Amino acid sequence: MEALRVSPGYEKILPQEYQDLVADGPFGRDLSVKDLGTFKELIEEHPLCAGCGLGLSIRLVVASLPNPENTVIVGTTGCNSILMPQLAMHNVHALFGNQNAVASGLRRALRLRYPEKNKDVVVVAGDGGVADIGLSPTLHSWFRQEKFTTIMLDNEGYSNTGGQESGMTRQGMVVNMAPLGKKFAKMPFHEVAKVANCAYVATVTPARARRLGQMVRRAVLVAREIGPTYVQIFCPCNTNYKFAPDETLEKSKDTEVTEYMTPEAQALIESIEKKPKAEKVQS
Amino acid sequence: MPAQKIVSPERIFFEAPREKKFLIGNEAVGEAIKRANVDVVVVYPVTPQSEAAHVLGDLYAQGYIKDYYRGEDEFNVMSAVAGAAMGGVRVFTATCGPGTLRAFEMFPCWAGERLPIVCAFMTRGVNAPLTIQPDNIEIGWLADTGMLIFHAEDPQEFFDMILKAFIVAEQPDVHLPVGVCVDGFFVTHTREIVELPPEDEALPPYDPSVSPVVTMDMETVPVRHMKDPFVMKSNYISYNAHASWQQEVRAAAERSRKYIAKYMGNSVEVVHPEAEVLFMTSGTAAAQARVAMERLREEGIDIGLAKIKVIRPFPDQEVMEAAARARTIIVPEHNITGWLAREIKSRVSDNAKIFGGPRVFGGMTMPPEVIVTETKKLLAERGGHLGLRRPLVAARG
Amino acid sequence: MSTLLGYKHDYKVRPGPETYLSPSAAAMGIVLPDEKQGLIEGSIVPEEVAWEEIAKKLLAAKNPTLFPGPLVLWAWSESAVAKATALLELVAEVPGMKIIPMPDYRPKYPMINPAVEINPNHPNLTIWHNEIDVCAFAGVHCHFANLALKIIRAGTDCYTIALCGQRGHEDAMITLRDVHAAEVRELTETIRKIKKG
Repeated sequence: MEALRVSPGYEKILPQEYQDLVADGPFGRDLSVKDLGTFKELIEEHPLCAGCGLGLSIRLVVASLPNPENTVIVGTTGCNSILMPQLAMHNVHALFGNQNAVASGLRRALRLRYPEKNKDVVVVAGDGGVADIGLSPTLHSWFRQEKFTTIMLDNEGYSNTGGQESGMTRQGMVVNMAPLGKKFAKMPFHEVAKVANCAYVATVTPARARRLGQMVRRAVLVAREIGPTYVQIFCPCNTNYKFAPDETLEKSKDTEVTEYMTPEAQALIESIEKKPKAEKVQS
Repeated sequence: MPAQKIVSPERIFFEAPREKKFLIGNEAVGEAIKRANVDVVVVYPVTPQSEAAHVLGDLYAQGYIKDYYRGEDEFNVMSAVAGAAMGGVRVFTATCGPGTLRAFEMFPCWAGERLPIVCAFMTRGVNAPLTIQPDNIEIGWLADTGMLIFHAEDPQEFFDMILKAFIVAEQPDVHLPVGVCVDGFFVTHTREIVELPPEDEALPPYDPSVSPVVTMDMETVPVRHMKDPFVMKSNYISYNAHASWQQEVRAAAERSRKYIAKYMGNSVEVVHPEAEVLFMTSGTAAAQARVAMERLREEGIDIGLAKIKVIRPFPDQEVMEAAARARTIIVPEHNITGWLAREIKSRVSDNAKIFGGPRVFGGMTMPPEVIVTETKKLLAERGGHLGLRRPLVAARG
Repeated sequence: MSTLLGYKHDYKVRPGPETYLSPSAAAMGIVLPDEKQGLIEGSIVPEEVAWEEIAKKLLAAKNPTLFPGPLVLWAWSESAVAKATALLELVAEVPGMKIIPMPDYRPKYPMINPAVEINPNHPNLTIWHNEIDVCAFAGVHCHFANLALKIIRAGTDCYTIALCGQRGHEDAMITLRDVHAAEVRELTETIRKIKKG
């Protein structure tokens, strides 16, 4: 999509929120996290819980996309799917776990139909969807070197179904289905991503909003040219881990921010980030 | 990329000159896809489909298919073709037996998402116990997924049905996935004469702009949509919206009837329609029943054959019409459940004249001699078509 | 398949409220028209007859309303813009006809403002709020149009008209098919003729 254009004569017929999206939306404007508050965002209202770290993370991810007007999001079953219908971008609700397989097919189809454009596909899914039920298709999409970004919203459990243990829950945590505490360690999934030949792997939290934005952007740009990329966002769930909504960012600070990239990815990022802003990103 | 000209579907289906080749069913799949202008194929091996998947790989290497890869399992293969279909391209895949079951969550998903995917099912038995041999129990399960289901008798029909499936599937008022089924090995690995139209003529490409649902490409709008109505609200209208979506998917199958009639002719092919006794069957069982019919007719028995080519949408009217004239209807099948007899009995009100069987499964063949013997026993018992119903004996489960 | 009991052999697609969960008209045996044909309440007619009936219904309505969908609201192609423009001309010919958009197909949070929009998941809210007695849909993806048309028939007494760019909608009381800018203009011409005559 080049730009959001209303059919002549229908400008005032559209509801106000769409008029705002046309006038002030991010399509084609290369905005980022630092511009939040100055433009009409692609995700505003959604019925996620007050204080939801996942909801905040998606908002930051979407604000960081280099070309939202040509990005399709693939989500899956989980809390993200409560938000996705309200997102002003095409998005697919994949079945639980198969999001990276769906994204593989979708990315290849868009590449065939639009060989001259960058149609980005970004998977946004929870820890259960990416690393438990989705372990096989996630890893295989990486081994196959499928060119799209996987973003894990890691709230360390299955939140949407009431807070059950997932592979990313920490050892010893007492949660549903782990009444005696989780018996094995949190999966080192970002390490797995490196072994599975991802070209760019990052771990971050929404408490580091600008860094998160930079990492998501880098992940998408690297995926366009080089290979699969992975961003793991620690975004705790106040509802299931039982802390107050206004403590989410405080709790989010508790994770190491790491960034890994292959030499090829590094060269690409450097060449892009060196350019003056106007030249930087083409759709 | 081999030079191909785009022609109308009617040209390929009805008008183009045909050349005879001697092919197995799995090769016929390749010949169909070669002419089908398919964009993306994703596959996973399972006997007896694998050779067809290899042929598709060769077609990709030759340039007939634009993208192709071997997936990690059937569920994820079916997920990948779904993603590609959502992106607006024409896709094809194939599986059977354990692969069908492994992928099964995707079939009602394909239908509910209105994705015009064509998938071949080279039916084979499911575990347990293990068999790689023909057994079409899976068709009974596929029948309720919302997909359209065709059942081919031989490699020729397999070839033609796959091509026609794309055109029926992609109609804007249909836009549903189609399962084209054959009985594994009997069709996939048996060499028969198949008449092929020229290989330098291909179907027109898929046009995503006619899709009744939003293509996921950020080109046609709207930007906000919901593929799963109201999973989070709990009220009357939310559930009503969901129910209405389900109804629309089934309505699309009803709409396919006129395109099936246009491109495939009738859904039930009847030989000797005036006969007193009728075999009513599908797939390989129809091929076997056809031979049995000829032998019985040589002995003076007035028997005909109604071959059901389309399982979904089930051809209620045609089946009821064919059944009306007959006084005894025999339904041979290659499965233990008798799903076809169940379909027929639920439409034909005079159940007492319908006999489900002979049934064989787990790879057993159904020799015409068995059909002949059991038919004669039944007719002897029924005498002047009076008397109580008794089950046909041969291998009934 | 619905909360109607028994199979209706002569099912007619009439304004509701029909039942708790309406059947899809296709499941009740209604078939879509061929080229140059329309459907009126389940019966196939030549398209000119359908144009006249549509014109009469719109002109006689207390609160006629056009529901344009994303396929005409957005200038994503030349033919979309052409159809959108032609629709505005049509609305201008029907005294008092309003336009309420269907800008997307998602459930509205926290709730829809039925005065300014309609949604396929709960179109009845907009119909009731605005007391719409005759409506016409255009530029809505066919799947979502069918959802809306059925829910309207189930729960309201609104008369529905579908100006479909593809094969038409059996769940509407009147449907045309293959409607692009030129066909919209034919319909507008018919409206003008009926107004005069």
